[in-house]
Amino acid sequence: MRKNVKDAYAAAPGGAFYEGRDAFLRAALESVAGQFALDGASFYEFEEKSGLLRLRHRHACGVSFEHEEDLKPAPGSAVARALEALEPAVSKSAAGSFLFSPFRFDYCDPAGGRGVIPCFGLFRLERGPRRRGFSPAEAAKADAHLKSFLRDYYKAEFFSLNRKYDKNVAAITELTEVFATALRVRDSFRHILAGIQTYFGFDRVRLYLIDEKNRKLKGELSADIRGQIKSISYEEIPLEAGAHRFADIVLGRSSGAFMERYKDCVLYMPLSVQGVTIGLLIVDNLLSQQRIEPQELAMLKSFGGQIALAVDNARLFDKVEELSLYDELTKLPLRRYFNQRFQEEFYRAERFKQPLALIWADVDYFKEVNDTYGHQIGDKVLKEAGRVILSNLRKIDFPCRYGGDEIIILLPQATGEEARRLAQRLSQELAELRIPVPFSKARELRVTLSIGISTFPQDAATMDGLLEKADDALYWVKSHGRARIALYSEVAEERKKAETAGGIKDAPAS
Amino acid sequence: MKIWLLSDYDHRKHLAFKSLLARFSAAFPDVPVEFSVKSRKSLWESLFAHLRDSKRNPLADVIEIPQNWTELFSRLGLIAELGARVEALGHKRFPEFILKELCRNDEKRVFSAPWWLEAPALFYRPQALKSAVADPERDLATWEGFRAALDRVGPPSRRRGAHALSVPGSSGSVSVADVLPRVWGRRGGLFSDDFNRATFTREETAGGIEDWLELAVSGKIELFSPDRFENGPRPPEECAFIMSSRKLGGRSGLKMLPYPGYPSGGGLMLVYNLSVSASAQDPEAAAAFVSWALENRNLSIFTESFGVFPCLKPVFEERLREERESGVYKRLFSAPELKPNIMVYPTAELLLERALWNLSMKISRRDYDREDLTRELIMAQGEADYLLSLY
Repeated sequence: MRKNVKDAYAAAPGGAFYEGRDAFLRAALESVAGQFALDGASFYEFEEKSGLLRLRHRHACGVSFEHEEDLKPAPGSAVARALEALEPAVSKSAAGSFLFSPFRFDYCDPAGGRGVIPCFGLFRLERGPRRRGFSPAEAAKADAHLKSFLRDYYKAEFFSLNRKYDKNVAAITELTEVFATALRVRDSFRHILAGIQTYFGFDRVRLYLIDEKNRKLKGELSADIRGQIKSISYEEIPLEAGAHRFADIVLGRSSGAFMERYKDCVLYMPLSVQGVTIGLLIVDNLLSQQRIEPQELAMLKSFGGQIALAVDNARLFDKVEELSLYDELTKLPLRRYFNQRFQEEFYRAERFKQPLALIWADVDYFKEVNDTYGHQIGDKVLKEAGRVILSNLRKIDFPCRYGGDEIIILLPQATGEEARRLAQRLSQELAELRIPVPFSKARELRVTLSIGISTFPQDAATMDGLLEKADDALYWVKSHGRARIALYSEVAEERKKAETAGGIKDAPAS
Repeated sequence: MKIWLLSDYDHRKHLAFKSLLARFSAAFPDVPVEFSVKSRKSLWESLFAHLRDSKRNPLADVIEIPQNWTELFSRLGLIAELGARVEALGHKRFPEFILKELCRNDEKRVFSAPWWLEAPALFYRPQALKSAVADPERDLATWEGFRAALDRVGPPSRRRGAHALSVPGSSGSVSVADVLPRVWGRRGGLFSDDFNRATFTREETAGGIEDWLELAVSGKIELFSPDRFENGPRPPEECAFIMSSRKLGGRSGLKMLPYPGYPSGGGLMLVYNLSVSASAQDPEAAAAFVSWALENRNLSIFTESFGVFPCLKPVFEERLREERESGVYKRLFSAPELKPNIMVYPTAELLLERALWNLSMKISRRDYDREDLTRELIMAQGEADYLLSLY
């Protein structure tokens, strides 16, 4: 139990140091039991509000132990007198002799608050019925002995509070930094939750954001007590009064008796920026049912504004990034983003020797559509093409608006035939679409796609080569009547045949 | 090696463990070992404190836990798998009813080793019941019979605070440990059989709780025992009835019956296990201590010292054969039931504990009403249901 000075925070009268308050109390009880030949010694805390004495530690039969027992002193009893006068009192009964040594001290909040923290309780010393009782002189001596310990108990309590205060200061400094540097949504939400968990250690922290468009509160992330962070995007709560307690909180309605009861272990913190609520942060100790310290609640609340700003910044940053990486019309990634992903996927395909297919598609007669019906209709065509493409791809596929009406789709782990099947599905779906053109005679417009496909490693061994071959195949389709699909390997085969047959002018150049 | 032992109202447990450790140290002088006795609340807090800040709040290497904490703390990664390290676990040398709850969700891995168990029962003093109960065996078999007898039997002593019924281990407020045997007796429970919802307000559960609270309301048991300070715990000779899950000495003149309300036998058993911390510095040594503590002789001496049963099958069966009240114990163990070992169960008990605390305060202030029980149970059930949806 004895520790070196560095790790300790309380000193016993003999100069020994103890690791924490519990070890200190244990030592005090063992010391007084030994010095005054007791059969038992107990330490109680007194809760003035309920009038109950709470047993914390006991030493009996040579063993020290923690125990839980709530007892109410009988009015007029020796215990009640001791607590009232803050003077030691003795009693004797068939069960033995007892000495009650009360104490009370208040200490200032080390965080500089105006309040004082009370520490009120008593020691109960006992001897069996066949042993002698406590004489006034012995009672005074035992009381003085305990008081000398209590001076150090005071220090122990103060240091314990001070340690909490230090922790809070560290939390303020480091969390502020986390919130200020959190920019990207995917990372920042994780950082924010991990930061809160690191410093406060709640059973759980959950973040919900408001989806204004759909009037929903959507789950984002949840961090548990072990620091594991997982998505809770499956949680969606309609933002309507009475639909759910979370919705009521965000809408500023009454939280009800249920939440009032658990306010000690749950904090619901609406996140607001410039008066607009953007989400809800919930921290709880529901699993452990442990009280969240009021100072921690206050500190977290004071961070509310910063957390909300950090969350909002991250969302704005993502929005800006989305605008710079995605085409607003087709919702497809732009060429800049494609180049980056193409490099990654090509590297992966090379490294793991997996196939990679590339589809290059072009809307047939797009220039004519624009010239005849105007750019509004042209935009509609592209928008529909984007929608059809996005709804048909696998998660790992990556489309891109390469420029104008040219669209490229990267298909990792796909062969030429698999790419052809996807291309057929896209062509067919697009060909079946009727785009309304109110001012034209036909009242509707139908469009088709020309598609060229190349594959790695069959057709090309480099990124440029793969693009070039897909473009080659597309050119061949365009020069053979459009609205078709061609694999480069087939085009090359055809070209070879044509060359053998005497040179056909429209065969693609090698 | 550090060991955390659960605190017990009976000092004999602490002393028994102290002498167990003395024997261990004599057998293995090279293994330094020390123990602390932690209250249930403090142990719970220490385990969660470790999760929050493991450096500042290290765990002991070996930890005694109630069996139904195993699922929770194994899932939180605090206790280590023991199946391969403790021979008795590997060979499943425990009664079937213990194994059933030990490995409810994972039959391959075991995270704690059953150590000892206790069975709540009713003890009565034949002398005190002479004129009030004609046939104790028959009349005290049901709760109603027991309750009527309690009304007819006065406290044997005229001393202030003397009661006909004593419940050792129950102090302060009414606790979960007090009410659960009666809840089980009414075939109630805290959760539905499929563990999809909490059932605090179900008639059987609420009724069981109400039966026990009624004892406090009618003054048959005393809450927050005001005279405990000056008179200490009530000696057994001052009571006509004792509800205890420990064996009471043969010299006390008491006779034993199954807990009232279990006419066909059986009942709720409370099992306590040894676990090894997942962050133990030497997990092999810690597991070796668990194995040593579970050796027949060590287990037998330890459990006999404070009147409980060993969990190891051969020792358990031998104890049952040798028991003075073996007939009653055989009935108790004929259909034993354990508290479910599911993740949210310990928290559900805390929720119920909080409700019982509020109700106890009301009873002690004499402003308790039946509506208070309904309201408290609805609140606690709502929270337990919410927890079920989360974990």
